[in-house]
Amino acid sequence: MGQIVLGVGDYGASNTPGDDVKTFALGSCVSVIFLDPKTRTVGMAHVALPDSSINKAKATEKPGYFADTAVPALLALMTKFGCHPRGKGIVVKLCGGANVMDTNDTFQIGKRNALAIKKILWSYGMGAVSEDLGKNYSRTVSISVSAGQITLSSPGKPNWQL
Amino acid sequence: MTKQITQEELQKIVQSIPMLSASASQLLQVASQPDHDLMDIVNLVRNDAHLTARVLKIVNSAAFGLVNNIASIDRAVSYLGERVVVSIAIADCSSKVFEKELSGYESAGGVLWKHDLRTAIAAREVVIQSGADINSELAFTAGLLHDIGKALISDYLHGTVTDAIELLTAEEDLDYLDAEEKLAGFDHTRAGYELAKAWQLPDELAEVIRHHHEPSNAKEEFRALVYAVHLGDNIAMLGGFGTGSDSMRYKLDRKYTDYIDIGPKTLATIMLNVDIEFEKLEGSFHSSGEKN
Repeated sequence: MGQIVLGVGDYGASNTPGDDVKTFALGSCVSVIFLDPKTRTVGMAHVALPDSSINKAKATEKPGYFADTAVPALLALMTKFGCHPRGKGIVVKLCGGANVMDTNDTFQIGKRNALAIKKILWSYGMGAVSEDLGKNYSRTVSISVSAGQITLSSPGKPNWQL
Repeated sequence: MTKQITQEELQKIVQSIPMLSASASQLLQVASQPDHDLMDIVNLVRNDAHLTARVLKIVNSAAFGLVNNIASIDRAVSYLGERVVVSIAIADCSSKVFEKELSGYESAGGVLWKHDLRTAIAAREVVIQSGADINSELAFTAGLLHDIGKALISDYLHGTVTDAIELLTAEEDLDYLDAEEKLAGFDHTRAGYELAKAWQLPDELAEVIRHHHEPSNAKEEFRALVYAVHLGDNIAMLGGFGTGSDSMRYKLDRKYTDYIDIGPKTLATIMLNVDIEFEKLEGSFHSSGEKN
């Protein structure tokens, strides 16, 4: 029983009842969440940028950092817990990808992150069943492995579920 | 309803903040002069035994991974760069400001320093990656100081976070500056500007503190620098390093494009470099990262 805290560009998974998988203060970063009902495994990646082509070395060192390398890395990790290698049966949820107010296209980094994640998920035939993306506030995400329940929080707002 | 700060009270708060050390103050003056060189910085550090020791300790910390220790102050300063030396001097004498718990924004102690350091690194990266004609070292220093006003008004905002968020949700055109003004009587840029005056900061730094959320209102001669910090601040917040309840609840001043040219790909490079540089610098400021 413990807390698995993921920093920027980290990814992780757990099937231990009582564990929480958590990430703090998502801004434009997007949290990709995989829930596998069959093996009762929870996985998450904290994605910072859409495309690994800007720095291949960073992508090798921290695949969770970029959308296009995070999804395959998280899937490979989930496979070690007995999940289907192409993600069959996995429930996908997304959150984060916020913007500042009055943003222009260049600063829509959150939107580009979410789109890049959806694109790579699509190539596996996967898609998000629910999402809480955009807006202009930070989100902290906590997933309980026992219940598969995702709780989001943000200063000054009551907690909500995804 | 919370207590509104009066002009008189703000002056009292400003006076309760320790002055900058003589070295930090002189370093900021020198760093703002366009024609200074690194030896000017070295000479100022050399005259302050405490600062010299701190600089040597940090350059030889594990975070920089030097094979051979650096023993001379001029080599240490040229290795670290002006911006890091200035940061060390500021951090050393103003921890009361930078390490303050921002309870009014629901943030723990140390969060303000991290946000400021991210903003500083990002402002410098914006200048370097865009090739804009702005002093990148000064952009860093200005980034470090831009939010000092939050430390002044935070206590007065204690318990207001839910009200602030409700206000901003009800009136979508308002940003967190409006909420601060309504709930405490002063927003953090106005409060910070008062401290900038008390600290006798150079004009360009005071201008950044006053206008970093709406650089188009800054004096023309300093406007490009203010825009660099404005973008650095936004990049820090988007990267998950805001100061709590106010994070991303400010407007992007889109006229930055008149001064700074960056596209989506350059922005991605900047954000990645900020993560890498932050890890290195943050580690070096902490004693746990020191060798032997």
